[in-house]
Amino acid sequence: MMKTAVLLIPLLPLASFIITGLFGKRYFKEKSQYLSVAAVAVSWLLSIYLIIQVERGEELSWQVYSWIAAGKFKVDIGFLVDQLTAVMLLVVSTVGFMVHVYSIGYMKGDGGYYRFFAYLNLFMFSMFMLILGNNFLMLYVFWEAVGLCSYLLISFWYTKQSAANAGTKAFLVNRVGDFGFGLGIMLIFVTLGTLSYSGVFENAGRIGSGTITAICLLLFMGAMGKSAQFPLHVWLPDAMEGPTPVSSLIHAATMVNAGVYMVARSSPLFHQSHTAMFVVALVGTFTAIFAASIGLVQNDIKKVLAYSTVSQLGYMFAALGVGAWAAGMFHLVAHGFFKGLLFLCSGSVIHAVSGEQDMRKMGGLKNKIKITYWTFVIGALAISGFPGLAGFWSKDSVLAGAFNGGYWYFWLVGLIAAFMTAFYMFRLIFMTFHGKPRDVELYSHAHESPRSMTIPLIVLAIPSVLIGLVLGLPPEDGHIDRFLEPVFEAVKGEAHHFGALDVGLMALSAGIGLAGIFLAWVFYIKRPELPEKAGAHVGVLYKAALNKYWIDEIYFALFINPVRALGRGLWRWVDVGIIDGFVNGSARFFRGVGMVLRPAQSGKIQAYMFSMLLGLLALLLVYLALTI
Amino acid sequence: MGDFNQFFFILLSVVILVSAACVVLFKNLIYSALSMIGSFLGVAGIYILLHAELVAAAQVLIYVGAISVLVIFAIMLTHHRTGDLSLYFHKQAWIALPVCAVAGITLMVIMGSAAYNAVGEAQNPTDENIASLLFNEYAFPFELVSLALLVAMIGAVILAKKEKS
Amino acid sequence: MTPLQEYLALSMALFFIGTWGVVARRNIILVVMCIELMLNAINIALVAFSNYSPIGGGRGEVFVFFVFALAAAEAAIGLAIAIAMYRLKEKLSVDDLDEMKG
Repeated sequence: MMKTAVLLIPLLPLASFIITGLFGKRYFKEKSQYLSVAAVAVSWLLSIYLIIQVERGEELSWQVYSWIAAGKFKVDIGFLVDQLTAVMLLVVSTVGFMVHVYSIGYMKGDGGYYRFFAYLNLFMFSMFMLILGNNFLMLYVFWEAVGLCSYLLISFWYTKQSAANAGTKAFLVNRVGDFGFGLGIMLIFVTLGTLSYSGVFENAGRIGSGTITAICLLLFMGAMGKSAQFPLHVWLPDAMEGPTPVSSLIHAATMVNAGVYMVARSSPLFHQSHTAMFVVALVGTFTAIFAASIGLVQNDIKKVLAYSTVSQLGYMFAALGVGAWAAGMFHLVAHGFFKGLLFLCSGSVIHAVSGEQDMRKMGGLKNKIKITYWTFVIGALAISGFPGLAGFWSKDSVLAGAFNGGYWYFWLVGLIAAFMTAFYMFRLIFMTFHGKPRDVELYSHAHESPRSMTIPLIVLAIPSVLIGLVLGLPPEDGHIDRFLEPVFEAVKGEAHHFGALDVGLMALSAGIGLAGIFLAWVFYIKRPELPEKAGAHVGVLYKAALNKYWIDEIYFALFINPVRALGRGLWRWVDVGIIDGFVNGSARFFRGVGMVLRPAQSGKIQAYMFSMLLGLLALLLVYLALTI
Repeated sequence: MGDFNQFFFILLSVVILVSAACVVLFKNLIYSALSMIGSFLGVAGIYILLHAELVAAAQVLIYVGAISVLVIFAIMLTHHRTGDLSLYFHKQAWIALPVCAVAGITLMVIMGSAAYNAVGEAQNPTDENIASLLFNEYAFPFELVSLALLVAMIGAVILAKKEKS
Repeated sequence: MTPLQEYLALSMALFFIGTWGVVARRNIILVVMCIELMLNAINIALVAFSNYSPIGGGRGEVFVFFVFALAAAEAAIGLAIAIAMYRLKEKLSVDDLDEMKG
């Protein structure tokens, strides 16, 4: 039964993808959603079943099929279902299902309706395979597959130049990371001769310290690309060109978590290398505060959420890097739910104001779109760490992990980033929903979204509130810690006693979140003239953050323009002068030779066969002469 | 027992090779097809000598049963002219004969002189072995082959279908 | 017990008779028949190797089944081409299929 479930979970979306993709355009048209949503719904139910089984202590490690067996190189297709997989399944299947439902309303009337659902199904298949696989090669293959789906969905409206560019950018930036990831996997194979998780992790202790650091850093390079960590974060904000359900599903709740999942899965490797762990924590923490500071000043509603996602992913890596593995996964789950919710809400807002994304043109929408407003507030409170909600417990466990691990500097930076998070989230809410409508035209046409969109919002709001209580309590040894213990058993640090200090830390992180909310209220409700004054005061910093620290421009100056210039130079001088001369000369040469040899191409198949026979005879005689 | 084995091997070899030569040499295609059936039956006998009864049965079913019938149908659906030898044999045939002979003998020498280290006592895989291999280790190629058969079937139908004029 | 080499010799002989047929005869149906002979030769070699190898465990025979399936597919397509060609040109000589000559 468990095996059937494991097989059906990925295969149902795949079947739906094939059917919808092949027949959608001609036959299903605007009815494409039924099959897709049904397939994902069944996958979701089966995932819940699997999670319950794992909760009861069942585990599954199953070699289905030997995929490649060439000498020493052996790769199986197999499934591994353990606690870590269950945690990922919970997020992926739930958010995936809700996004499918939501898309029914959001994409209604779009020309590529069937195509959208087909791609979503393909993504669900790839993502399920990514988390269910039991070896590094499967991880890599489906890692690329989700990347492909991400590309297809970012540039879903491919007639729009900016969307097509964003898709290409995501693809290219991810290639940089995947290059490292691929090298890391090869290095694992060269060192250990196997790629299966169990084989690699059992022998992790045998690897030399230099090699293992290299492996971990290369693997982490892949994670940096996929999970948009500095300096490879540049693709994620641009990826917001895609339809909003895609941003919610792929670029907030599931695919970008693949990097975190990979690092957590490879915990026995990372545990061996302090350098790699420190790099993970450093990159994560830096990204957390870096992206949060950009998020403070963005005016596009989806861009704010995108930078927020980058920042929260940074938190997860920070947690993994300081050895708080379970805390990182906890934040992944909580973030998956509330960020998925926030993106869907922003989609609902955009839907309400007919496609406008600039917050400066919104305002006062709270009475017009009540359900969206309240769910948005719940999501924002959750991410800001409002006491009791999901983000409070998960973020606190991340920060406590850093503090107790002795990395007080990471804790401090994380705390500042948490303050920024609360500020920009409520800046977003106050600018969008409160105050006076800035664009009367937009405001008067605003309307609540259809029920297929609001129900997913309400459903996702529930875990955003409760998941922290369910998984995070009691704080010193939460449910999720105990649940994930078998996975991280080998890499666990020493047990930490929960004391008064921890209560203080908790109160501090709760207080800092509330302070951020209060400051946002002061800036955008109480005294709306303040932001401009403050902006002028720290002019350079403000400008730097608004322009995303010119990272894109730096990349252009450093990589893209030199390559272009090189290309132009090569074209002018080398290509036209030398190569063209060579090519034209050789073309003339070959035309002459061709005229001579043309009769050989007689079209007589048996003559060809005969010449093959002569060649075979020659080879055989050479072999005979060499061996005897 | 060993002598019997050798005796049958030589007998079957003669049957196979003579009927194979007849396939190539007969002018009448129906005769060629009938000798081909003889050759196929001989190969089935060789399989039995090699203790591969399942393969032998499949050989009879597929080659003697299906493919031969297909060939005979194709012969009967087409009209054949008769005439002198050059109508049947390509002009390169008489150069090709020694080339084939030399290549064959060379390959036999090479194969005969190779040391087969791994060769040990004859093993007789049971049908159960084969079935479990086919449906476990080779399940994916198996599915691909079934797909290839489907494609071939559709292709054959489309190719042989009468054009609407 | 017949040695492995003799089976291989039989296989080679049958293979090159088939090859000669493919090269020598003009009729396309006969060419298809000769290809079947060549495939049979290979099958003999596969079964013989499988039978004489202590580690084969029936793998050779599995491959023979794949060859069977593909031979059937090849025969179906080849003969369909022959019939289509006959309908088109009223001729069955392989040399008449030379539309791709240079």
